[in-house]
Amino acid sequence: MAAKWTLRYHANCNQVERVNLNSLSAGPELSVVVPVFNEEDNIEPLYEAITSSLSDGSKSYEIIFVDDGSSDNTFGCALRIANQDDRLKLIKFRRNFGQTPAMAAGIDYANGNIIVTMDGDLQNDPRDIMTLVEHIHQGSDLVVGWRHNRKDKLISRKIPSRIANWLIGKVTGVPIKDNGCSLKAYRADLIKRVPLYSEMHRFIPAMSSLAGAKIAEIKVRHHARVHGESKYGLSRIYKVLFDLISIKTITSFSSRSLRWFGLLSVPFAILAMITFTWAIWITVENGTTIMVAAGLAVIFGGGATFLLICGVLSELIYKTGAVRPTDFFSSKQFDGGERK
Amino acid sequence: MTDIEGISVIIPVTERIGEFPSLFEGYRDALDAVGCPLQFICVLDGKFANLAEEMKSLDAKKHSVEIMCLSRTFGESAALNLGFERASYDYIMTLPSYHQVDPKSVAEMVNGIETADMVIARRWPRRDSILNRASNKVFHTIIRWMTGAPFRDIGCGARFIQRRVLEEVTVYGDQHRFLPILADRRGFRVIEIDLPQSSEDTRLRIYGPTVYLGRLLDLMGVFFLARFTKKPLRFFGMVGSVLMFAGALILFVSVVQKYLLGLALADRPILLLGSLFLVLGVQLSALGLIGELIIFTHAKDLKEYAVDETVNFGIETEERNDSSVTEDNS
Repeated sequence: MAAKWTLRYHANCNQVERVNLNSLSAGPELSVVVPVFNEEDNIEPLYEAITSSLSDGSKSYEIIFVDDGSSDNTFGCALRIANQDDRLKLIKFRRNFGQTPAMAAGIDYANGNIIVTMDGDLQNDPRDIMTLVEHIHQGSDLVVGWRHNRKDKLISRKIPSRIANWLIGKVTGVPIKDNGCSLKAYRADLIKRVPLYSEMHRFIPAMSSLAGAKIAEIKVRHHARVHGESKYGLSRIYKVLFDLISIKTITSFSSRSLRWFGLLSVPFAILAMITFTWAIWITVENGTTIMVAAGLAVIFGGGATFLLICGVLSELIYKTGAVRPTDFFSSKQFDGGERK
Repeated sequence: MTDIEGISVIIPVTERIGEFPSLFEGYRDALDAVGCPLQFICVLDGKFANLAEEMKSLDAKKHSVEIMCLSRTFGESAALNLGFERASYDYIMTLPSYHQVDPKSVAEMVNGIETADMVIARRWPRRDSILNRASNKVFHTIIRWMTGAPFRDIGCGARFIQRRVLEEVTVYGDQHRFLPILADRRGFRVIEIDLPQSSEDTRLRIYGPTVYLGRLLDLMGVFFLARFTKKPLRFFGMVGSVLMFAGALILFVSVVQKYLLGLALADRPILLLGSLFLVLGVQLSALGLIGELIIFTHAKDLKEYAVDETVNFGIETEERNDSSVTEDNS
């Protein structure tokens, strides 16, 4: 069969690739993206569980395993299966880049209209995939799994996660009970527009909701780990905290950042005025200037000015930026070539 | 080596120059033994432009030599980039313009490239002064601590690089030294091999304070690029909140002391320190937020992963890796 080629635009990485039309014409309805990292024992059971859960034939699908630079034979195991089943697609990273980049790669390469992401450690149950997909069909933009009966260590996993979810819910106003659950389903045109970097996958529901997406959260099964080691240590709350502050700033304030930074500078401006008046008053009263009071006025005044300038700068960044937080879900239609 | 169809050899002349013709001949004879065509590219930085005439008489035997001049002094990274642009083979070797390693040994790097994307030389055994060795050791310990890269001699200019590394990793300013670290971060296999240090590289080198300061700043730049590029607030916010906390504590204690012990606030210079910390902390956090905003609005251009291979996507792996398609479909 002669290969016919076309160009495919990857919105997420802003790249165009040559794609074989023969493979494209058979574009599946569903893409299951699974980042795997040192999971050689889990690969085969995982593949079988996913295929059997999708085997009723109602949906055409592809499974994308993203090997995040495993040091064991994960890729070899997956390759053996992929040679027999071309619905299993593999992406191999050059080295370990982390879970979010792995998901981002899977999403960039996925061809399906609906994309489901899940963990590679068999703690998510592939039998839930169809339930999630059903909700997408009922009109949700994003369906989040909730591990309501979580089988993990209490101290090192569940409590930090509880705190993080509570915080994320409070700050973003989107009370998702389980942001950390990897089992999620998305409309492909939506998720391909979300900038995914660092550990942003945790904030997809919050960001999507702020941008007006319709979110459903449904209970999913969760299993204890059978093979391999857990990849996380004690959750790093401080990272979540700082990420949360930046997400909040980006999503809620960046369109009027001058006002926001201006607000931030108000306390300093007030302090500057108080100390300045104090310094003047003492000078008039005693006839000598007290350096401490004058210095305080200068420091606070400088701080307030600096913050105002920061506001101007971020207005500029927002105006010239390629991505605006509010516009990635604005249209329901996937307009690949429009955004540059 | 039969699978190497040719090597482009780049010799940037930017800082020092040794007995160049004899050095060049040493390199030439060593690489000639590899048995593939060679393309020599000598890039002269602005201040060495007067050597161009002299260089034209270099004898490359059957291989080609190109002499290029930068219009003014741009530094080593610019010289290397110019050389990379001119290089026509897929294997690129950079060599120092003065005696760093024994010229006879440079061909050893070619053997290492079979299993790696980049081979860098480490001058070993070393023949230079204790002082140089010690400062080198300290420098690399800091690098390992900051970036986790295990290299022991990134100052050595002798490197053998596959073209695909240079297509993804770019250096500018004074970052050429850190090319192995940046390549390592992108997931390329970088190996270090020992080449004997040239006996003429033994002179005690003492640099001015600006050189060391410059290096330290470069190091901080690379550290930041390596660790916090995508999450500037984690860095700025951490430093900022420590400062804010310290400042708030100082202010709180002095206010308490005023009301409990009756110490007048106006007599306490420590108030200045406390409020300075507080303001500085807020400023750093604000800068971190601006960084986050920059990253977010450019997130589409920053691809955070590097794909080695894909299977069953209907596209040949090689084609995907080598494709430099830039048209768009709009």
